[in-house]
Amino acid sequence: MGTLDRIQYRPIPVRDLLVEMKDMSELMIDLAYSSALFNSRELAEEVLELEKCVDSLAYLLDMSAMIAVRNPSDAESLVGVSVVASAIDKISDAAGDISAIVLRGIGIHPLVREVFEKVEERLIRVEIKPESILVGRRRGDLKLASRIGANIIAIRRGRDWIINPKEDETLQKGDILIARGAPLGIEELRQVAEGILKNWRNRRGARRKAV
Amino acid sequence: MIDKMAELKDTSELMVDLAYSSLLLNNRELAEEVHALENRMDDLHTEFELLVLTRCITPEESKDYLGLIRLALVSENIADAAAQIADVVLRGLKPHPVLRLAIREAEETVMRVPVSKGSVLVGRNLQEAQIQEETGMWVLAVRRGDAWLRPRPDLVVKEGDTLIAAGYAGGREDLKQLASGKPAQT
Repeated sequence: MGTLDRIQYRPIPVRDLLVEMKDMSELMIDLAYSSALFNSRELAEEVLELEKCVDSLAYLLDMSAMIAVRNPSDAESLVGVSVVASAIDKISDAAGDISAIVLRGIGIHPLVREVFEKVEERLIRVEIKPESILVGRRRGDLKLASRIGANIIAIRRGRDWIINPKEDETLQKGDILIARGAPLGIEELRQVAEGILKNWRNRRGARRKAV
Repeated sequence: MIDKMAELKDTSELMVDLAYSSLLLNNRELAEEVHALENRMDDLHTEFELLVLTRCITPEESKDYLGLIRLALVSENIADAAAQIADVVLRGLKPHPVLRLAIREAEETVMRVPVSKGSVLVGRNLQEAQIQEETGMWVLAVRRGDAWLRPRPDLVVKEGDTLIAAGYAGGREDLKQLASGKPAQT
């Protein structure tokens, strides 16, 4: 294990810290399962980096909460925040434990792949083919979450990993996407990335309710 | 074994969603559901471990099976974390506003609504049902018999299901009506 970063108080709002911890912990779980499923040491290492971040954020959050407490009523109210933050920290530790399975070469039983074909939230690894309509599109413009209930959690471009890509990240041919989502949406994303499907299936027959 | 492991993973993730929802809505009922699921997890986890232990495992396979045991443990740990979040609600701590803000826009209401025969929802999957578009409420979980199901887009709603949904209070009546199968009162 590397050395631990020195923790110094920084005035960051508790709300921001909590949001970041929550988002990060959820991303980490998905990345960690992806690292196991696709047997990627690099993804597993990314998860461990994120885990260190979450640990630091947990310290900062506790410090901010301590400063904010002025009376018993504050304490009663803020202890809940601290308990939730520590639960989030536990979730990120759990993600770290998955990565450790990969990094220590403990072994991923072939059954795991079958398990992931049955769970409700699927993960895929798919390469963007040159003829795919995704090429040149910005991640944010695709509106994957609302369109198909899926989300790109990492992109492998050449030798680099882009973890949790930003909205304005432009997708390129040859990118390898790691995405998560519901089975139907994930399958649609695969077909679109591989150029099999030239357009999104339009599910939104959204007739507005007549008022 | 595959089914058990898939259920462990799904249940732990459902618990996290429900735990955050219980906090967001300061709702004891949802928090209690998280605890009920925690008991279910404990049973499942034990059953899973016993299944692994009663396999005849060769030395070459042992590492792979250790990986499985550790993965199941991860689900169990996630479930514990969810239970810890739900505890904040069960202990009656005044939820700090920051929690709600952090778990996204404060929501006004949570409701359980039974799906009656004749409801337009019966026989449709959640994606087709367009519940959120129609009512502004979104489904957190579906109770079917003793089972809790996650609201996947391809989950087909059945008569007798109970939907747990969250959203703005204005959507309550719309959702009740959608699930009841009675015509709109105008």
